Amino acid sequence: MKKFFSFVVVLLFFFSSFAQNQDSTWFVNNYTKLEQYIPMRDGIKLFTSIYIPKDQSSKHPFLMTRTPYSCAPYGADKFMPVWRSYKMAYAKENFIFVTQDVRGRYMSEGTFVDVRPFNKNKKAHLNDAVGQGKEIDEASDSYDAIDWLVKNIKNNNGKVGVTGTSYPGFYSTEAALSGHPALVAVSPQAPVTDWFIGDDFHHKGAFFVMDAFSFYPFFGTPHPKPSTTYTQGFSFKSDDNYNAYLKTGALKNFAKLMGDSIPFWNELYQHPNYDEWWQARNARNGLYNVKPAMLWVGGLFDAEDCFGAWNSYKANEKQSPQTNSRIVMGPWYHGQWSREGSFLGNVRFGSNTSAFFQDSIEIPFFNYYLLGKGNTSNIAEANIFFTGENKWHRFDKWPPENVQEQNLYLGSDGNLSLNEKPNNLKGFDEYTSDPAHPVPYTQDIHFRRTREYMDDDQRFASRRPDVLTYQTDILDNDVTLAGPVIADLITSISTTDADFVVKLIDVFPDDFKYPEDVKGNDENYPMGGYEMLVRAEIMRGKFRNSFSKPEPFVPGKITEVKWELPDVAHTFLKGHRIMIQIQSSWFPLADRNPQKFIDIYKADDSDFQKADIRIYHDGANASKIILPVLK
Amino acid sequence: MKVFLRLTLQVFFFFSFTSSFSQIQNSDFVKENYTKIDTTITMRDGIKLYTIIYVPKDQSQKYPFLIERTPYSVRPYGDNNYAKRIGPNAALMLEKYIFVYQDVRGRYMSEGHNKEVTPYIPNKKSNKDVDESSDTYDTMDWLLKNIKNNNGRAGLYGISYPGFYATASLPGAHPSIKAVSPQAPVTDEFIGDDANHNGAFFLLDNFDFMNYFGKERSGPTEDYGGSMFDANTNDVYSFFLNLGPIKNTQSEKYFNHRSYIWNEYLAHDTYDGYWQKRNIRQYLKNIKIPTLVVGGWFDAEDLFGSLHTYQAIEKQSQVNKNFLVMGPWTHGAWGRNGWNKFGTYDFGSNTSKYFQDSLQTKFFNYFLKDKGSWNTSEATVFETGTNQWRHFKQWPPANISEVSYYFDSNKKLSNQKNNTVNSFDQYVSDPANPVPYTAKVQGRRNNEYMVEDQRFAASRNDVLVYESPVLNEDITIAGPILADFFASISTTDADFIVKLIDVVPPEEINATNPSKSPVSGDFQRLVRAEVMRGKFRNDYVHPEPFVPGKISEVKINLNDVCHTFKRGHKIMVQVQSSWFPLVDMNPQKFMRIPDANENDFQKSTIHIYHDKNHASKIVLPVLK
Repeated sequence: MKKFFSFVVVLLFFFSSFAQNQDSTWFVNNYTKLEQYIPMRDGIKLFTSIYIPKDQSSKHPFLMTRTPYSCAPYGADKFMPVWRSYKMAYAKENFIFVTQDVRGRYMSEGTFVDVRPFNKNKKAHLNDAVGQGKEIDEASDSYDAIDWLVKNIKNNNGKVGVTGTSYPGFYSTEAALSGHPALVAVSPQAPVTDWFIGDDFHHKGAFFVMDAFSFYPFFGTPHPKPSTTYTQGFSFKSDDNYNAYLKTGALKNFAKLMGDSIPFWNELYQHPNYDEWWQARNARNGLYNVKPAMLWVGGLFDAEDCFGAWNSYKANEKQSPQTNSRIVMGPWYHGQWSREGSFLGNVRFGSNTSAFFQDSIEIPFFNYYLLGKGNTSNIAEANIFFTGENKWHRFDKWPPENVQEQNLYLGSDGNLSLNEKPNNLKGFDEYTSDPAHPVPYTQDIHFRRTREYMDDDQRFASRRPDVLTYQTDILDNDVTLAGPVIADLITSISTTDADFVVKLIDVFPDDFKYPEDVKGNDENYPMGGYEMLVRAEIMRGKFRNSFSKPEPFVPGKITEVKWELPDVAHTFLKGHRIMIQIQSSWFPLADRNPQKFIDIYKADDSDFQKADIRIYHDGANASKIILPVLK
Repeated sequence: MKVFLRLTLQVFFFFSFTSSFSQIQNSDFVKENYTKIDTTITMRDGIKLYTIIYVPKDQSQKYPFLIERTPYSVRPYGDNNYAKRIGPNAALMLEKYIFVYQDVRGRYMSEGHNKEVTPYIPNKKSNKDVDESSDTYDTMDWLLKNIKNNNGRAGLYGISYPGFYATASLPGAHPSIKAVSPQAPVTDEFIGDDANHNGAFFLLDNFDFMNYFGKERSGPTEDYGGSMFDANTNDVYSFFLNLGPIKNTQSEKYFNHRSYIWNEYLAHDTYDGYWQKRNIRQYLKNIKIPTLVVGGWFDAEDLFGSLHTYQAIEKQSQVNKNFLVMGPWTHGAWGRNGWNKFGTYDFGSNTSKYFQDSLQTKFFNYFLKDKGSWNTSEATVFETGTNQWRHFKQWPPANISEVSYYFDSNKKLSNQKNNTVNSFDQYVSDPANPVPYTAKVQGRRNNEYMVEDQRFAASRNDVLVYESPVLNEDITIAGPILADFFASISTTDADFIVKLIDVVPPEEINATNPSKSPVSGDFQRLVRAEVMRGKFRNDYVHPEPFVPGKISEVKINLNDVCHTFKRGHKIMVQVQSSWFPLVDMNPQKFMRIPDANENDFQKSTIHIYHDKNHASKIVLPVLK
């Protein structure tokens, strides 16, 4: 999220063109800005910037974003540069833009709580007269803000939309739960949803130490009273994350570097398992009886909140089937849908997928629900871009109706076969996972976590002895996957815990080249034999049966480890191969497992040990990957 | 070697467009100032060698000959087809010599049968006993008699394979030969050049090169008609891993026994008579002809040859006029117009121009024309790290001392031996996942691997790392390096690669490369690396298996360096057992590797000891 945040800042400062100059002049001349403290039901006031069109010839809707990243620029004469993004289309429709610092952040009063739990029992208060109940959450703050806006800003049409990306995506989800009748359309984009199971800071219980440790020293520093700035805490003096994180060692040592002033960091260390504390912070909890029209948006290659986008939509469908809820997933990194969308890293998409999203999906969505303009007939239930074939598909449900689960079995000699179960009596592969030499998550030396690792070439990994690689024969037909992928490994390990990472990879033909007219990153990377990461996910082994109650492995005992990888939308084209890689570290993306059953947040450097890992592929113990094959 | 050939073409290309010599901007300079003669010269056994001679049009003075003999073709052929440039550099072309190019025996338009690195015949008994020395001799004989206005002197030069032919003119030389410059000369293809290093086969270079060079011909031809087979890939690691044992190179799809040289390489997997005869060093005795031996510190092909040709002449000729030039160059880079940078190095000056103007041109002018002066030091050597030319009275310099750096536990490289017992590190070398020689995905062997950041290797659990504390003073090393370590392995053979690395703070690299994307973290810059095929540890002629589990001493000579590890840097050593596909994969079983099958390849667990009785170390030639 920090990454996204900084990108926004960069965008503000560096993008400029003649057309934008014209637009900026237009925006400044046609809008007035109001800075307003809006009181919440408990008396706390939230700082809010409201950009109001001068046009009073018709009534206008609100489009609001609630953010922990500041509603800067502050000052009634300083305008946020709406003209630098596609949001300018809303300005041309005279939308009233609202940005609000959430409770306890920047210029707002109150206490900030990370991913503040949704409070179901407060609902009664919401239906009561506002201000009677003192219990608050982000839903009630959204309610109170909306209520104030529709009552106090002149010339509004009584309709409110809310949107936001990443952490503001979480606040969009929470706004949707406010139940305020003026709120008619919400688009949570890459919404932070579950920080233990799949978003940002943990995936399946494994700590995403690099993202967390680079985010919190800034985001989490104390902020005792409203202010436009935060202090910067610890930062590494290194340009090589692999080296810096390896040298720092056990998580304990990171806590020492962080200091004790960052509340969420301390709390996180107290909750190594998916206990009630984490369960309360699952944003899906409140997705019942959702009233507004919902447009869930996410990126297939979003390193931060890919899980959140897919799974919030699914929870919305399941728990609130009556909601008018739709989903858009494109081939994007975190937030890429608001920028250039023709390629990510070395992989090209053949068209500007972001422009398609902006012009054909999001803008028509808000224009329809907030203005009654046009229609949404071009927005399907699920609007999904399939990489590989590079095409948008439209479905009536997700995963689509005509998906069949097919088993991809690991075999001997690195073979992988679809639906052919091995029948040999014995068969396994083995590697040593050494915490002193974890498998890098990407090849190049760098400090900040890249977003391109999500579709990087995996050849650097297949060349290591601690990475198992399996691949199919060259495909005779296209194979299209649509939905979640299940890894089902039969393993034994020499110690009491280990991580497992499964990577689904598209192996390009040896002579593959993109045509010259397909837009890419101009790096001329050798694409013949490219091993494109399509999806990867880690599983912290001790959580294999329960995220709440971890269990040790019995050394040498054959054990099943099964977990779900986030949904994919990808076509393995004829002439390509499907590859699976298995490894037990993914560094420093995920923290190293000491490979000992222990509370890892309390582990010492001396607890880290090598583990010999076996992955079985015989008739009785057939490790497999379950693929959602679209027919 | 193929890389060199490409390089030659590039040089030609650059020259005609970017030369600073205004006269040569006229691309007809050669035609306007020289007369070209295409002819054949008959050798003592009746074989005719195709020869091209460029004679200066200005006949007011006499000229010496400057000769390059080559297996890569003397083209362009035909009296009226002039090369755009001639001679080893522009200054010499302007200076005017009689430039002679000759297709060597059995190559292109010359008659006869070609032999790989033709063995020298010391006691020739008849006119049938011919070699490169006699062919050069006979050529000189003819030239002196048939080309007018010569001054009776000749010089030879050449880079890479032509460097070998320059060296080969020295034993039994024609008396008219007065100056020879072997440059990156192919010298000993089992011990250190091109084909093998310490008995380990250089698969990547040779597979590519012999695909075109190793082709047979039916008779003299201007064109061999391209490669034998198509092996295009943009990822050589995958290609060779999928290819499997080297015997598979003889499948129908690839060499299919069509290349005589490839057949010979696979037939001679020890330092047998075939290779011994081809080691020209043994014949470089009492060489009094002035020699200028030239090589590049980053030459991936014939660094060994440069250093050891110089050394052989020096040791075996009490009276000599033997000079060494070692610059910061890749194979043949001294022939380029500009060479200021390589990898993340910035040398701060144009090192190739310095060589051409201040060394090569002066050398030939002085010894062939009595022009100018020649008071060059015995060894003109570029010191990397500090990036400056050094001038020494001998090579290696007199004032060096051998300093041992010991491997130690906890990844340390220490000045002291570890005095405990039974201290070791271990790794598993797996032929299914060999250590890549470079982090880059590439379709051919790159040159940059010689200076590449080794962090990609350090992150692997089949690579051992030993690192010194931060240096509190500069350490300059000048000369050869010895790795001397104790290993036990679980099988009967294994390769060992030792890499000497300069751990450079990133600020330093970024300061010299402001335009490039910034380098991050402590950069592990490769300074020197070498491989040893374990079974040859005691004897290249008679390989010996390892006894599984038994500790054996292995010594590897790494090629010379002249390098300063600066204050604030660290010295690092890495040890690994594969270097793929630069070197073919050792099956890790004692056997004839060219006969190995898929199922002969096995994992080997390697122990490297660092204790009281088995003090593994690297010995550096530290300059005082």
